[in-house]
Parts: sequence; structure tokens; C-alpha cells
Amino acid sequence: MNLGISSFLESYKKVIVAFILIVLLFALGGLIVPNFLTVEQVLFTLKLASFTALFALCQMIVIAAGGGGLDLSVGYAATLTAVLTASVMDGQNANLGAAILIALALGSAIGLANGALASFLNLPPLVVTMAMANILQGIVNAYTAGRNITGRPSPILAIVAAKSTGSFPNILFILLAITILVMIVLNKTKWGTILFGVGSNETTAYLSGINVKVVRCFAFVVSGILASLTGLLLIGNMGIAFKDMASNYVMPSIAAVVVGGVSMSGGDGNFIGVILGAVFLQALTNLLIAFGLGDAGKWLVFGIVLYALLSFYASNRRSR
Amino acid sequence: MNKTNQGSSKLALSNYVFRPEFSSLLILIVMFAITAILQENFFTIKSIVRNINAFAPLILLSMGAAVVIISGGIDLSAGAALSLFTCVLTTVMKKSDPITGIYALLITFAVAILVGVVNGIGIGYLRIPPVIVTFATSYIWLGIGLFLRPTPGGESVAWFRIFYNPGMVEGISPHIEQFGRVIPPALILILIACFIWFIVSKTKTGRYIYAVGSNNDSAYASGINTAKVQMQACIINSIFIFLAALFFVGQNQSGDARMGDPLTLRAIASAIVGGVALSGGKGSVYFALVGALILNLVNKIIFFANISTAYQTLVSGLIVIIAIAAPVAYTLYSKE
Amino acid sequence: MVVLEAIGIKKHFGGVIALSNANLRCYQGRITGLLGANGSGKSTMSKIICGIYQADGGEIKYKGKVVKYRSPSEARKDGIAMVFQNLSLVADLTVWQNIVLGAEESNGMFLDDDSAKELSQKILAQLLPDLDINKKVSQLNPGEMQIVEIAKAVSRNPQLLILDEPTAALEQAQVRNLFSYMRTLAKEGVAMIFTSHRLWEVMEICDDVTIFRNGENVASIDFEKEGKDPDKIIGYITGDVQKKRVEGKRERIVGETVLSVKSLNYGRSLKNVSFDLKQGEILGIGGLAGQGQIELMHALAGAFHNVRCDVELRGKKIKLNRPLNAIKEGVVFVPGDKQLEGLFLKHSVLFNIIFPKTSLPHPLFIPYEEYRKECEEIVDVLSIKAPTVDVPVETLSGGNQQKVVVGKWLPFDINVLLLADPAKGIDIGAKRDLYQYIVERVQKNNMSVILYASDSEELIEYCDRVLIMYEGQIVANLEGEDINEDTIIACSMRVR
Repeated sequence: MNLGISSFLESYKKVIVAFILIVLLFALGGLIVPNFLTVEQVLFTLKLASFTALFALCQMIVIAAGGGGLDLSVGYAATLTAVLTASVMDGQNANLGAAILIALALGSAIGLANGALASFLNLPPLVVTMAMANILQGIVNAYTAGRNITGRPSPILAIVAAKSTGSFPNILFILLAITILVMIVLNKTKWGTILFGVGSNETTAYLSGINVKVVRCFAFVVSGILASLTGLLLIGNMGIAFKDMASNYVMPSIAAVVVGGVSMSGGDGNFIGVILGAVFLQALTNLLIAFGLGDAGKWLVFGIVLYALLSFYASNRRSR
Repeated sequence: MNKTNQGSSKLALSNYVFRPEFSSLLILIVMFAITAILQENFFTIKSIVRNINAFAPLILLSMGAAVVIISGGIDLSAGAALSLFTCVLTTVMKKSDPITGIYALLITFAVAILVGVVNGIGIGYLRIPPVIVTFATSYIWLGIGLFLRPTPGGESVAWFRIFYNPGMVEGISPHIEQFGRVIPPALILILIACFIWFIVSKTKTGRYIYAVGSNNDSAYASGINTAKVQMQACIINSIFIFLAALFFVGQNQSGDARMGDPLTLRAIASAIVGGVALSGGKGSVYFALVGALILNLVNKIIFFANISTAYQTLVSGLIVIIAIAAPVAYTLYSKE
Repeated sequence: MVVLEAIGIKKHFGGVIALSNANLRCYQGRITGLLGANGSGKSTMSKIICGIYQADGGEIKYKGKVVKYRSPSEARKDGIAMVFQNLSLVADLTVWQNIVLGAEESNGMFLDDDSAKELSQKILAQLLPDLDINKKVSQLNPGEMQIVEIAKAVSRNPQLLILDEPTAALEQAQVRNLFSYMRTLAKEGVAMIFTSHRLWEVMEICDDVTIFRNGENVASIDFEKEGKDPDKIIGYITGDVQKKRVEGKRERIVGETVLSVKSLNYGRSLKNVSFDLKQGEILGIGGLAGQGQIELMHALAGAFHNVRCDVELRGKKIKLNRPLNAIKEGVVFVPGDKQLEGLFLKHSVLFNIIFPKTSLPHPLFIPYEEYRKECEEIVDVLSIKAPTVDVPVETLSGGNQQKVVVGKWLPFDINVLLLADPAKGIDIGAKRDLYQYIVERVQKNNMSVILYASDSEELIEYCDRVLIMYEGQIVANLEGEDINEDTIIACSMRVR
């Protein structure tokens, strides 16, 4: 029984550490910066982090499927979706359905292209999705060249993504629902089992009768769809679409996965941990801004803290 | 990790019969042909010199990226490091005092080594996934760069133009000026990088970079200090970036903490298009140059074909996919 | 003269104790065998001596001095070299580059490639003269790789050479070459440590043997003084001196043809392979290593999508281009390399056992309660030693891991069980458990088995019929009295 508890602690160690770090960050902020540790401020941090967390979910699924999976195109898929759906929605609730359909179609097309190249042609996902990011950014550039991006999100979308119920941001309800769904799918259904199996040993999975390539490709499709839908939420939150609106989420989304304790080599995934990772990164950023460090200090400390954190628990030193 | 790779290679489709280097050369020749057709005076010395100047930073960064990738790593901080070096150079230099140029060279070189060491510690000694650790360091370089140069600017000694165009340096001997018109400094910087790699590739370090990238555990078991080798690869990369920074400051006489960002992924893409395998241990550092030429020529072609420059990123994305997918698709096609 | 003495070595990995109190002695010019079940600590001991692991306690005296190596390179400087079981070769470098890897000679600052090639040529001349040293290692077969590995260790002129399972991938002829080379090295005064799961090899080549069990050395036998008694050695290994090997074969019950394979072709590794498998039969596949046996097993399991063949299962044509097709027909595969091909090491026993079910039509939600019970039964039936079904399989010993690979197919309705060298790298006790269960199940529900074993002893003991393969073809079909060591080896080497 002893073994059971210690192995439980072992597997959740990183999640627990991430949680403790978040608490420490807020405590530190509360001590030094007035008004940092208020309910509103915490909820606001969570709201900002929820977008990173959603992109990190895309990342987590692709990483979990193994084979060096990564999706650098998520931010660009979101941007393209936001730019296109902005004009479609045009501030009307009636057009929301069409916008969602567009997001689904676009996301699955992007995911399918990524997945087909990475999985069926066996090309490195990092390069494929990086090239895809270029292509999508190129489409956005071409689409927006010489014209203003018009259109506003439908009011419903704005309520869901930007508004709050009392002081509780509505987006957190969405995040909560997705979390529950993801936990169920990954831990209770055969899809989760297959995904983790393929990620941890593709040969074993293949010899057990699983079509590894289809599963990997599907992971990219899911990632593409989630990224596009997140793009929709993002425009709901921001109110307008612009050229670089989501590209800055890409690398933090990978960092959130790692800080959340998910192995980069595939085969596991824990969305709660990933959310905590996203919250940690957001809280750190907010704290550094609150300290009034300015851009230079903010990025310097952010980089150093991330480096220190990674050397603490993303390091494989002891695996030899 | 190596274990699963070996296992999967048995089942993998891509049994590269057609080596990736070939397809990249082929694409390059096609690119040259198209450019030559579109641009009338493409083969004049003036135009070639201009092109070398325009291509040099990406070429230098892509060679560095190739070294790191062959050693089994990847560097997402290259662009930020380049920016940082320009900031350090322009902070140390005082326009009025030519000797500060020498100080700047020495200090920035030391910073370059340090940058390589920090990346190398993360990748090699701490064994953090390279993608993520160099992402973290890119923020550190950005932070320091912004600290030194909150806005683009700074000072440079006048003679620093020698790294761009000797003709612009006052009082330089006419011979050097003449020479610089035919052989631009940018080309010399690239040749220096090639020479450095040529020397390294004849030493243990060069052999070990391939060995460590191909199979880290085996190399370790062979008594190779794999962490040190990965750190050396990072340092070589950093030196190549340093050379690119000299060119930049020579050209612009100023520093900018964010100027290098777009080059990071392009440099990696160039190396990959040049046939360097992301899995490590395979490919040639010199062929990264071919990849960089391809990506640069794409932009030229778009420019000369009167296509909106908005399409540049789109097309270079497509080229990357074509370049890496072509050999695999060819293999599949010839098998069926 | 004692070259190396290890006294009271202790080593643990996390909570698992690998060595509790282990002693070992090696002598100049002598070959010391290390024997023991998987997880007995003999591999750990070798790795501590050559600096891959550091001991938690005890001391190692090398040439009379206490040493503590922190890395293999430190040990190598003192003349200790190890031939690795998990190869230490780099696939993208050539043979000669690999042989000198980590010990390159330099001309000033540059590498001296000429002398490196010369040295490689010289060593390989005695071990494998036909090998082109300019080939990349990725182009070699497993046997050749193993020999390059040995050449690499020898190139360092070691005074103590550790050979950890060097013969597992070798053909019999290559093993003979290696043994004669080892004898030459011994004459030159090199001390050697030799481990192998094949008892006869240890008895043939070693001068003395030290047996490990549960992280301790339980016996040392000097063959010259005390003679070679396999039963006594097996007794020390299993810890049960009384138990003899199972004697007497089961009665053979031959039914109708279950699986009929006609003209199976796959690339250059399988040529026109045809055979029938009868109901309730255990069909052995033998021959030298690397003659297409493993490929045949993979092909039957559906692992090669472009295989050409006519296969009928109980008179019905089946296609073997996907593993799923084979599994649907009850043709299930236990691969030889369990860690690479049969297991999800990071995941639990439960996860591993329920995984194959997900490839067949299966309700979306996994009934964990039901499966847990089923899994616990399987653990029980195969006597898998695991604290609970929730522990990761990587914490189990090799033998128990192999049982998990077999166990995941037990809930299926098996027509044909394909076993590719199931006893490779597992201890004698686990091997006995495994075969006992398979024989029982064959007798009870008339499942048929195709068994490839690199060790002909297993074929002799368990098979009703043995096919011998040579260069991708079946060259002999042995039945009844013909299934014996002599005939198998003679057919394998095409003497008969």
C-alpha cells in the first residue's frame, strides 16, 4: 500500500509542485504589490490563462500521440479563423452558426494537412507545423493586405468569451466543461487508451492492431479544430481580429504543457496539470508587470524563472 | 527515446532512397533559373554582391542551426541571440572613439560564448528538451537586449562598416575597397564560418557532434562526454550568429533587441530544406547554405514576379513542405 | 593473479534493490562467467565495474587499488572495457568510425583516420573478415553489429573485458569465431567477464562461474576443480536445487489443418515459404539467427503491409496486410523484443493487458471494474509477480514483462499463437512458467502455436515439428526422433 501512495505522489509530483508555485507567486504578489491578491485579480489571471490553456490542450493531445509531436500552427490557425469569421459574424448572433461551421471546417482542414504530412509521410511535426504556420500567416497577410479587417463577434460569443457572471469570467465555465470532457475522454474511454498507447510505443500499438498513422493524424485534426474554436473565443474576447492576434500563444502553450508535468516524449497527458502550467505562466507575467519592471526586466525574469523551473523538473539528468 | 526510434524505423515508410540533399540542390537550380529569367541583370557582379549581402544573415544562422540540429538539439533562441549581440556591440561602441570597436568585438564574442554555454547547459547537461529550454533562453536574451537598447539605435564606430562595405570606411586603401566591391565582407564572413566548420569537422568535436546527434546513449556509452559535445555545438552556433551580428551592425550602424526574431524559424527551416534531419546525426552543415539560398530566392522571385509580398511567408512555407516531402513522396511513388 | 575484486557491492534504483551484497573476483588470463536470472543483478554488477552506474556501498579493487569510476571513460582509461548488450554503436557513422569512437587518435589537432581504419581492419580480420569497414552501421545486420561492438571494446587493449550477452544476436559460426578469439585474448593475459543466458556457452568458454541470485552472489564454481554440472548450476540460479528439468514430452494430438501458408514472399527476407499448421500442434521454427524467422513471424502477424502470400485459416482465405486482420482471425503475436514491440513500459500492467481490446469493436467507455478482475485473473494464471496491476510494467523483471505480453492475448479466442523467441533474455523460472502454461492451454483448447526459438533446446523440448529456415526459405521439416540437437544444427548449417 505504501508503494501505491508513493507512486501516486510521484506521478502527481509535478502537478503539486506547479500548484505550490502558483500559490507562492500569488502570495509574493500579494505581499509586495497592493491589490494583487484580490479575488478579481486572481479571476482575471485565470481568464487570461484559459486561452493559453486551450492552446496548450491542442499541444498536449499532439504531444501525447508521440512521434515528436508538436503543433506550432495553433496560434496561426486561430488567427486565420478569427480574421475570417469576424467578417462572417459581423456582430450578428444569427451568423454565429455559420462562423462555428467555418471554424470547424478550417480547423479540420488545417489539422488534416498537418496530420497527413506528419503522420502518413512521416515528416517531422516540428517542421511541418512550422511551415503550416508560415502558410497560414501568409494567407492572413494576403487576405488583410490592403484592406481593413472588418466585422465584430456576435454578442453571444462576446458574452461567453469576454463577459463575466458577477465577477466570474464566463470563459472559465467553458474551460471547466472542456476539462471535464477531456478528463473523461482521456481516462475513461478507449480513445484515451489508444492515444496514450500510440504515444508511448508505436510499434506495440501497431502490433496490437491499432492504425498508428490514423491515430496520429486524428490527434492533429483535433488540435486544429480546438485551435480554430479557440480563435473564435479569442475574437469574442478581444472584439476585433488582427494579424498577429494569436501567434504569441504558440510557444507559451508548449511551455504550459511542460510546466504542467507532461512528458515531451509522448504517452501521457494531464489537462489539470497543463491548466496549472498556463496559470503559472500567466501569474508570473502579471506579477512581473505588477512589479513595474518594464519590458526588459519582465522578459529577463520570465526567461530565467522558466529556465530554472525547467532545470528543476523537465530535466532528464537522472535517466541514465 | 532512441529505442522507440529504432523500433519504428523498421516500419517507417520513408526509406530515403533519394537523398534529401539531391532534392534541395534540384530546387536550388530551378530557383536560380527562374530568378535569372525574371531579373535581367542577375548575373552582374553588382547584383550578386547585393544578393550575398541580403542573404548573409540567414545563411550564417542556418549553418549554426544545422550544427545544433545535427548534434541532436534545436535553437529557438538564435534570433534573440543575434539581436542581443547587436545591442551589446552598439552599447559598448562609442562613435567618437575607434578603439571601442575592438572592445566591442571582444566583449560581444565573450557574450556569444556565454550564450552558447547557457544553451548548452540546458540542452546537454540538464537534458531539458531543446525546444523548450531555448525558448526560455530566448526571453533571457530578449530581456537583456531590451535592457541595453529599449528602442532600436545605439552607436557604432565608423570603421565597423568594414563588415558591410569597405568602400564606406573613410581612408581605407583603394585596394581593399576594390577587393570589397567584388568579394563583399558578407561572403568573407560566410567563408569564415565554412572554414571554422571545416576545421571542426576534422577534429574529434566534429565527429562527436554527429555521433551524439545520431545516438546520444551510444555515444555516452562510448565514453564521449555528450553534454560537452552538445555545448560545443551550441557555442559554434553562437559564433556563427556573432558573425551575422557583425554584418548587421556594419550595415545598419545600430542595434535592435527584436530584429532577429523572424530569422529563428527561417534558419531552422533552411537547415531542414538543406537536408539536415531534425532527428539529428544526419545532413551537412554546408547544405544548410543551400537551404538558406532557396528560401531567400523564393522571396526574390515573388518580388520580381510582381506578386504581392504578402505571399512571401505563404510560399516559403510551401517550399519547406515541398522540399522535405519531395524525397519521401518520390520514395513512396517509386515503391508502388 | 586477481585483477579485479568487488566486495559487498550495494546498489538500488529508487525503491528497487538491484544488488544487496555482491562479490566478484576476476583473474588474469581467465574467463569468468556470470550467471543468474533476470533481475539477479549480474548486469548491474557489470555496469558498476565499468562505471556506468555508481555503487551505493562496498568497494572495488582493481589491480590492488580501490577504484570508483564515475563514467565509462574513466574505467576505459584504466583498461576496463565493456561490450554492451544494448549496443553502444552509432548508426550514422561507419564501422571504423564506430570502432574508434571515443578513443580517436589525433595527428596534432586533427583526427588520424588512416590509423583508425588500419586498426579496425586488423581486429575484424580475426572476427569477421568479410565486413566492409566503410559501411554505415545502419546497414549491418544484428550479428554484424554485435561483432563491431566487440571489436570496439577490444580496440582499447583492455586488461579486463566485460562481455554482457555478446552471443544473443550471433550465429553459431560467429559464436565459434568469438570463442576462439576470446581464448587468444585470454592467452595474452586479458581477464574477461562473460554473461550469457545460454548455459552451454558459459560451460564451454568459462574457466569459472559466479552465480547471482536476488542481488547476491550465491556460488562460485571453478570448472577445473569442481567440474561442470548443469543441474547444480541451474539449481543455484533458480534457488531450488531439487527441481529437475521437465522430462518427457506430452502426447502429440494432431488435428486437421488450421493454418495453411502458401508461397509467402517478403522482400529479400522471405522466399516462397509454404507450410501447414495442424490443430493443437506446436510448430517450431529454427535455424541460424537472421535467416528470416523473425520476419516470418512478423509477416504472419500482419506487420508487413506489402507481403505477398496465400493464407487460409480453417479453409477461409485471410489477408495478412494489417495486424488487425490477423488479430480478428485469432492469430496473435508475442514479439521477441518485448520492450520495443510488446509493451508500453511507462504504463500499468492493467493498461497493457486491456490495450489490444481497443483495436476490436469495443464500447467507447472502458469497463474498468470488469477488466481489472479479468486482469487480476491473468496475473494469477501466469503467476506474474507484480505488487498490483497498477504498477508500471517497467518496474517488473524481464520474465514478468514477457508474461504480460502473453497475458494481453489471453482473453482473446486464439487460433494461432505466434511466439518469437519468447524466452530470450528471461530467467529460467519465468521461462518454465511460460512454456508450462502454453502447453497446457494448447492441450485444453486446441489452440495451435508457432514458436521461433533461437535456443534449439526449447524447440527440442516443446515442439511437435520443427521447420528449419535458411536464407529466407524453409530447408527442412523435422519430426519425431529427428528433432534433436545434432539434426537441427546440421540442417541449420546445411550440412545435411
